[in-house]
Amino acid sequence: MNNIWGSMEQYDPVVWNWMIAVYLFMAGLSAGSVMVAIGLRWYKRSRGLPVEGLPVIKASAIIGPAAICAGMALLVFDLTKPFDFYLILLNYNLTSVMAWGVLVLLLYIPLMFVYFALVFQQVLLERVPALTGLINVLRVIEQPLLKLMFVLAIGVAIYTGFLLSAMISYPILNTAVLPALFLASALSMGSASNILLATLAFNKSDSDCIEQVHRIEYPVAFNEALCLVLLFVGLNFSGPAAQAATAAISSGVWAQVFWFGVVGLGLAVPVLASTLAPVAWRHSKAFLIGVSSCTILGVLALRHFVVYAGQMYIS
Amino acid sequence: MTKRYVMVHDENKCIGCQACNVACRSENSTPDAVTRIQVRIEGPHGHYPDLHFKYHRVSCQQCENAPCVEVCPTGAAYVGDDGIISINKDKCVGCQYCIAACPYKVRFINPETRVPDKCDFCKHSRLAEGKQPACVSVCPTDALTFGDANDPSSDVAQLLDTRIHFQDKAHLGTKPRVYRIPGKRGGINQ
Ligand code: SF4
Ligand code: SF4
Repeated sequence: MNNIWGSMEQYDPVVWNWMIAVYLFMAGLSAGSVMVAIGLRWYKRSRGLPVEGLPVIKASAIIGPAAICAGMALLVFDLTKPFDFYLILLNYNLTSVMAWGVLVLLLYIPLMFVYFALVFQQVLLERVPALTGLINVLRVIEQPLLKLMFVLAIGVAIYTGFLLSAMISYPILNTAVLPALFLASALSMGSASNILLATLAFNKSDSDCIEQVHRIEYPVAFNEALCLVLLFVGLNFSGPAAQAATAAISSGVWAQVFWFGVVGLGLAVPVLASTLAPVAWRHSKAFLIGVSSCTILGVLALRHFVVYAGQMYIS
Repeated sequence: MTKRYVMVHDENKCIGCQACNVACRSENSTPDAVTRIQVRIEGPHGHYPDLHFKYHRVSCQQCENAPCVEVCPTGAAYVGDDGIISINKDKCVGCQYCIAACPYKVRFINPETRVPDKCDFCKHSRLAEGKQPACVSVCPTDALTFGDANDPSSDVAQLLDTRIHFQDKAHLGTKPRVYRIPGKRGGINQ
């Protein structure tokens, strides 16, 4: 039966779609990968070990800039007025999380190219010798730059969580754990993607740091799982609308994405594989590739789950 | 004293005829696919033979604490000096953050301008000419009352002083400026 008041199409509560989910994924991927690699660099340096040419660091210098640029392209493409996107660079409403995100990204994105240039100095200078002067200057301030990049990367990972949590009428999104969940999952996909690319593209025998990166995955996965538990336990105590939203993990297609994708692929498979698999397997290429791919797919599922299920329930 | 424009929808007088919906469409040249106001007829409620419907107006609530304004990155969604929430086309990038953030789901992308659109109490047309919003003028049962709630002698101030009323989703703290007088037979249905 038709209603007499007209079409209900515009009232669909799901406003942001997969492009936003993939953007959130890409931003987290870039930030997580860089955080893990800079952290590893500091760890190695504090023990007096060499840090140049480590496969994991090389991997992050590619993932860092590439992922954030791909994400930005999607974001601009998703605007209803993509050709007017420059307006967001000129006008800032500082009560908006998105405006803060733009400010952070404005610094973060160019620094990602600096990061790339510092890591791939040799390759770069062979092709473009004219950059020698610039890179020498950057080298001098490398340490403070790395600190700045690390802080900005935390900012990028967290702001994507606040971006969603600022929407007060969606109980799943409007929670304080969302930014923490996004930070934890950014770290887990960051380390997984560094391992994946390092194993695929760079010589693993250069160092054993893949193992070290692999080790931080347990505490990170634990934190991610904890945030998810907090999220849904919290909803249960936050009034009828929030309670109704817990249906997101018990019924419908997004519940399947949650249990199979987020919990299964993203958390259970990597943790079980790394604890139960025979030691001989753990160093094999196939094992590392398989396990890191699962983690990454799990986080991709998490971003989709949060964006879609988050908008489906409204208070 | 500053103005505080509010609208009161008396759900006892409303008959769900959609005259307001049609008048709004013609006044604001709203494209066919989208709409700024709907009066949803909900029900029937109660037990036969005592059945009744509820009339639920869905339109921008002109929140005093407007989430759409707070989240807009460019300031394109803004509060005017008169307190009315409007959209500045020239600043909007179309990120749809405001549409997602509005708890009442009343913002939509206008397919012609590619910019969000919604009720603005006919601010630029009828209000500027000193007239009432189109929906208020056309309502055959006088279910809608519009005016300055800061003026104690106004019709809206008197209605709000004398009649039981409620606002949609008041618990979110948005302070809507659309007030509803609940239908006598119906409970409050937010
Ligand atoms: S009802 Fe929605 S669009 Fe209107 S002022 Fe409130 S938040 Fe903004
Ligand atoms: S769509 Fe336009 S008005 Fe809405 S938040 Fe984005 S820039 Fe602001």
